[in-house]
Amino acid sequence: MAIDRIEADVVVLVGGPAGLAAALAAAGAGARTIILEREERLGGILKQCVHDGFGLRRFGEALTGTEYALRFSALIPGSGVETMTGAFVHEVARDEERGIYRLVAISAERGIFAIETASIVVATGCRERSDRQILIHGDRPAGVFTAGLAQRLVNVEGLLPGKKALILGSGDIGLIMARRLLLEGMEIEGVYEVKAEASGLARNIAQCLVDFGIPLHLSTTVTEIHGGRRVESVTIAKVDERGSPISGSERRVACDTLILSVGLIPENEILQSLGLPLDPATRGPRVDQSGWAGLPGLFACGNAVHVNDLVDDVSDSGEIAGAAAARFAREEHHALPAGHDARVPLKAGPGLLYAVPQLIDPRQKGKVDIHFRTNATIREGARVLLKSGDRVVAERRFIALRPPEAESLSFDPTLLGEVQALVLELDRQAGAGGAA
Amino acid sequence: MTIERFRKEVADRGLSDVEASEWRGSIRLEGQVASWSDYVELGRLAVKIGTRGVVNDLEVSGPEGCDLAHEDPLAAMGHLEEGGELEGLSFDVAIVGGGVIGSAVARELSKWSISTILLEKEEDVATHASGRNDGMIHDGFAAKPGSLKAAYNVRGNRLWEPLAADLGIEFARPGSLILFHAPAAKALYPVLASRASENGVDGWELWSRSRVLAEEPKVTSDQHGGFFLPSAGCLSPYKATVALAESALANGVRISLDTIVTGLETEDSRLRRVRTNRGSFAVKALVNAAGIWADVVAGMANDRFFSLHPRRGVDMILDRASGALQRHIMAMPSLLQGREVTKGGGLVKTIEGNILVGPTAREAPGREDYSTSQAELRELDRHFRLNRALSPSMLITYFAGVRACTWEEDFIVGPSASVLNLVHAAGIQSPGLASAPAIAHDVAASVLAILERTMKVSPNSRFVAKRRPVPELARLPLEERAAWIGRDKAYARIVCRCEEVSEGEIRAALRPRPAASLPPSVVGPASPEGGAFTEARLHASSLDAVKRRTRAGMGRCHGGFCTPRVMETIAEELGLPLTAITKKGPGSQLVAGETKAPAAIHLAAILPAAIPPSAERAAEEE
Repeated sequence: MAIDRIEADVVVLVGGPAGLAAALAAAGAGARTIILEREERLGGILKQCVHDGFGLRRFGEALTGTEYALRFSALIPGSGVETMTGAFVHEVARDEERGIYRLVAISAERGIFAIETASIVVATGCRERSDRQILIHGDRPAGVFTAGLAQRLVNVEGLLPGKKALILGSGDIGLIMARRLLLEGMEIEGVYEVKAEASGLARNIAQCLVDFGIPLHLSTTVTEIHGGRRVESVTIAKVDERGSPISGSERRVACDTLILSVGLIPENEILQSLGLPLDPATRGPRVDQSGWAGLPGLFACGNAVHVNDLVDDVSDSGEIAGAAAARFAREEHHALPAGHDARVPLKAGPGLLYAVPQLIDPRQKGKVDIHFRTNATIREGARVLLKSGDRVVAERRFIALRPPEAESLSFDPTLLGEVQALVLELDRQAGAGGAA
Repeated sequence: MTIERFRKEVADRGLSDVEASEWRGSIRLEGQVASWSDYVELGRLAVKIGTRGVVNDLEVSGPEGCDLAHEDPLAAMGHLEEGGELEGLSFDVAIVGGGVIGSAVARELSKWSISTILLEKEEDVATHASGRNDGMIHDGFAAKPGSLKAAYNVRGNRLWEPLAADLGIEFARPGSLILFHAPAAKALYPVLASRASENGVDGWELWSRSRVLAEEPKVTSDQHGGFFLPSAGCLSPYKATVALAESALANGVRISLDTIVTGLETEDSRLRRVRTNRGSFAVKALVNAAGIWADVVAGMANDRFFSLHPRRGVDMILDRASGALQRHIMAMPSLLQGREVTKGGGLVKTIEGNILVGPTAREAPGREDYSTSQAELRELDRHFRLNRALSPSMLITYFAGVRACTWEEDFIVGPSASVLNLVHAAGIQSPGLASAPAIAHDVAASVLAILERTMKVSPNSRFVAKRRPVPELARLPLEERAAWIGRDKAYARIVCRCEEVSEGEIRAALRPRPAASLPPSVVGPASPEGGAFTEARLHASSLDAVKRRTRAGMGRCHGGFCTPRVMETIAEELGLPLTAITKKGPGSQLVAGETKAPAAIHLAAILPAAIPPSAERAAEEE
């Protein structure tokens, strides 16, 4: 079928905080850049985030998410970036012979159309884990919402999810929604957390729960939802150290709404359709420090790579990937860069949930930030070491490490010399020595 | 077994408060037992007496306490409105139950010039067993030879393919592969083949270990060949039910949703009137297709010669990406355990490409208890190992369905022995979906025989077999998709990103074209084959009804992203406020009201929309 064909150097999927930054960086480097955004407006999930705390590092101000998105999208006109909103990517295919990607997309404005591009930046963000993915049982009545869905209903649609809510998950979205729903007149039964400590930032515990008298119940989870048509109550239970419900500790709590803030899953179906395996630890692609995701001209950034805590980090990774994508598009041969196998793997050692990037290209100039999370809370202090064999390439001391808060370690890969593999190691013994 | 022997066996179990008596040619159990397992055990034991049916009216005391015999379907339907729409009307036939059976019977009857009404107590068809199964169209191998199940299954399996084509729904025959778990199982091939032959199954093959591996590269290495049944098929059970109901609607059947039967009036062994929450009306014949409540409806007609007990099944739904990892339906039952071969669950590849893991089978008291439990989910773990590429991280969700089981474990299909104008389609559990077209054929024939005693019945000359479905754009070639978008740009606006469902599809599913305002058959443009087809839509009004028709919200984010947009589309199409939109009909409102600033500050509105290229150029020129 003959369909409209558009040519580009860099196509950015989609227009949230990572994609906006990527597109601006790519266009700034001279690439013909298109943002394909599935929603009607740019900004991604930030549009519904009316609480503040965004952009402290980048703008030096505590902006709302909406304002942060507005600051970025205001830079689009005149930047050279072409935005296509309400545009859905139906298919992405690699044309190896021509060294390009062919996207088939659909929008009300253009119908079905194709874009041929040298580079793609995947900035598709993440989705929320739902009730059954954390093994909550019972029937499926109305009144069960993920926190993001509840946030959109309240902040964008002006709709109140229910009268009395129980919130499962003390991640930042859960805490923020507890306060938001209370301010809108809902009764908040409490915030429940399966882990032994809260998952959100300390400032959110204080500002969202403590200041409003909302109780936080640790080591407790929801095991069952009751009600056929609308939620009538839920069963909660204490959990043991492994997170399994303790038999006999069950208690029924009346509520008509259950809000779930129980984790985010990077959305990488497009990468998977290109045959790329995902890192089981992050559920994102394996990337190098430029966001290169394993195929020529294919880059990824933001929450599609790993779930970030701060939007500033998301935008930073977008800028890096956008610039790299533009650089790639400028190169004459759109194949793997010569000597791509010079990249060395970076592995997360015991005690670490993951470390990103998973590959280091020693030829790329500039400081690299390795983002990592521990898989348990460390209160006594620890040292994190980047090692090549027995050689310590970089290290950093921490007073404490908590899984909900990603940390980073910087190093300069051009100083690596000859390395085969890198390992990020957690040294808990070092804790006693104090922190720097 | 004699009834005396049965009584002795009951006494041997120390169950003193149980009485067994003959009743309407059946055996009836009354009294009390202390546990649900006793209830089930005695129901099964009573079958051995060999009467027409077993009516198990035992009450279960204790923590599992329940009294199925006296359960009232109205009890859970407090949200239903009273109305008078049906008061004083008269129909030739009333069908109780809008599942796949009731809907298929309605369509069969619409081929005749008679007046038919289909009554469904929920806000949509296919909300219970018909919407809560894996969509497999069984080959007929597993059914007990000589049973109604076996006969109807094989007939139904053949009928579905042309029927699905007429209804405009997808149907495929991936075939079912029963894997051998031990080398010795291969020796059972003659036994398996003889059973397949006895049931009249359309084809079977013995596959070697290497053949299995060639056909299913991701199969467990712990397999020793298999028994392959190529006729096993699959379709979407809820789309099929909606399609049958819509085809019936288009051909003149009245469908009354949110309508529950509250009583039946009998006179001289004939049903005269049907009482509902929407008024009472006269009938010449009644079809009992009431699913898990069919014994209660039979009771209302004084024809309760059987009783039903619920058996819950749980299925896991895996991400649609899982479909690329498997070609056939696969299971590995324990063929060597000497028990009767049961299906026992496995991996079913659905028509949409998801893999379903399950189902379980658990006797449990609730007729409409769709709650799941961790123990049931754990039972399904063993199926994962059949396909090495599958992992529990692919789980989207899981759901429960309830099988309507007679104690005889067979269907009851045909005219009542005592009520002259009542036809039963009861005890329709698995393979009920596969059997539905054949059951509907026979039930309709019984109804016609009843009607012909008092009236002349002629064919409906305006019956149109073909139905045009709501298009599923993601599954169409790009040319056809572009044509739909050319007609309406709403087909280019994707609402459900996981299943790639457009706003146009949702609108099409929501636009009722009531038969009242149109000729009995809405004749559309000629189909490629040259015939006419119908386009009537059964009124969909809930989020779940939209989901059943379009799959919006059925994907991996499970409605996390699309719910607000689907709500908005429903509200616009039906002219309702957003606060009135329900998940599954009255009483299941999705939201409680508006926020404090009712004219919501649409924060999104302050963000710039797409900047058209022309505007961008203008900006550059400045």
